[in-house]
Amino acid sequence: MSTGVQPALRRTMTTRGPGRPPGRARRFDWLPYALVTPLVVFIIGLALFPAGVTLVEAFFRVQALNPPDTFTGFENFVHMFRDDTIVSSMANTAYYAVIGVVLSTVLGIVMAVTLQRPFRGRAVLIAVLILPWALPGVVEGIIWTGIWDSNTGLLNSVLTSLHLVNHYQVFLGRNHLVTILVIEIVQVWQLTPLSTLLVLAALQNIPGDLYEAAQIDGASGWKAFIRITLPLARPGIAVAIVQAVVATLNVFDQPYVLNGAASTGASVMEQTYFVSFQNLDFGEGYALSLLITVVTIIVSLAVVKLVYRSVKY
Amino acid sequence: MARRFPLRPLGVAFILLWTLVPLYWVLSTSLQTDAQVSAKPSNYIPPTPTLSNYLTLLRGSGDIATSIRQSTVNICVECAASTVITVVLAALAAYAFARMRFRGRRVLFYSALATMALPAYSTLIPLYRIMSTLGLVNTYTGIVLVYVSGFLPLATWILYNYMSSLPMALEEAGQVDGASRMQVLWHVVLPLARPGIVSTAIITFLSAWAQFLFPLVLSSDLSTEPLTVAIAALAGRHTVPYSLMSAAGVVAIAVPAVIAVVLNRYIVNGLLAGSVK
Repeated sequence: MSTGVQPALRRTMTTRGPGRPPGRARRFDWLPYALVTPLVVFIIGLALFPAGVTLVEAFFRVQALNPPDTFTGFENFVHMFRDDTIVSSMANTAYYAVIGVVLSTVLGIVMAVTLQRPFRGRAVLIAVLILPWALPGVVEGIIWTGIWDSNTGLLNSVLTSLHLVNHYQVFLGRNHLVTILVIEIVQVWQLTPLSTLLVLAALQNIPGDLYEAAQIDGASGWKAFIRITLPLARPGIAVAIVQAVVATLNVFDQPYVLNGAASTGASVMEQTYFVSFQNLDFGEGYALSLLITVVTIIVSLAVVKLVYRSVKY
Repeated sequence: MARRFPLRPLGVAFILLWTLVPLYWVLSTSLQTDAQVSAKPSNYIPPTPTLSNYLTLLRGSGDIATSIRQSTVNICVECAASTVITVVLAALAAYAFARMRFRGRRVLFYSALATMALPAYSTLIPLYRIMSTLGLVNTYTGIVLVYVSGFLPLATWILYNYMSSLPMALEEAGQVDGASRMQVLWHVVLPLARPGIVSTAIITFLSAWAQFLFPLVLSSDLSTEPLTVAIAALAGRHTVPYSLMSAAGVVAIAVPAVIAVVLNRYIVNGLLAGSVK
């Protein structure tokens, strides 16, 4: 059977067939519309419309206990920058993002380079590596409580056994930086598998003879990593950074479980939740949502512009 | 010429320790009594492994056990329903986008994809208010609708890429034989797209299982609270024994962990298809 000829033949027959003048008076084809309608309804009704609501109502006073809604211009935004807990949550979120993006990207590159060449057991290692990505962030918070805990935690036990500290230490709630660092490590645990896979996919495209050529020129090991691996992995690294930026700027589950409402480490998303669903001040919540969305998109675009380079072999 | 990474053994050891130590630790804690968990230094291996924490969750009549059991049922219902609906709707739309030409095709396709660029939580408050207006707070329907709307764009994108990569020849042969386009979809395209469909289903299911903030807002009692929300509520009380919390945690990670290990090939393929644009 000549599958190569048949389609061409069929196309000629249908366009020139009887009763169907070329390109005109076709019956309306409703099937594709029927197929995409559910998707379109969901996207418009439960994504674009709500996003529009956030965009508009950020400039309104919307308080469940204080109707009706009234236009107040930038008042929600002004109010937000006068509120100390919200301002400090912005600083916290910036810390989360910086720590999370740097750690998950560096670890992702290290793990991807480890997995770059085939070796026995690599498939098993990838299966293990992916685990933290697949688990709920909330439960990961509970898992890591067992490591950070000041009374029974694994880290304290190991540090004391090794005589690195004399007595059990408080990590969560010790001070701003340490608290945020230990909470963010839990999120990094969840983010790193995807970063690794993204960088690894980029590394797999690098032709092996590039490394051979470099070796002949006397550039191997570290030099080859800096001159070949890193630049050619840029598309993968850029996507990895973007996913980490989006996740860390919107961090909620890990600080919520590990730290509760304590303002030492509260993120902007936590404040958004508290403001909207405990104080029932939706207008302020909308303004915070809009702010974090705009910042997320701007930072993501900046990363793409700075880090992404398309690579051709 | 061997060009292997000289520090590979170190890297391998790091990946294994980094991933497995926390998982081992929660499992080990769940197999100890609360007194054993409080030992200093910790018991690195459970001295007398016991399933008593799991039996408490399985058979106990206290409110902790009841809430874990009911919320496990809830999370299974919500994940299964949203996975099935997402995959079916995404497959239909992906087929239309990949194989049919129609007015508005590009606009619809790219606006669906564009919603992936929005952080999920940007629509949290409006979605809550919509569901509350429709009387769908504290219902499975409300939660599933929100999940499906969140997962559809990525699912459609993965399946669109997969279907576009399939050879046209078989479908055309089917059409020559007189099959309708829906018959071609059902008998030719879907069977060929099976690996893509499995990837999409797994990624959707795992994302649904991991949800926390949306169900936290959309459900306020045990009628619909998924396991993640129930566990966080128990952790917030600070009175639940840590060994029992750990057992609940192991229950909550068992399903996604098994899926991730057994079906990881599909996950890796699906993720890479979905995120490298």
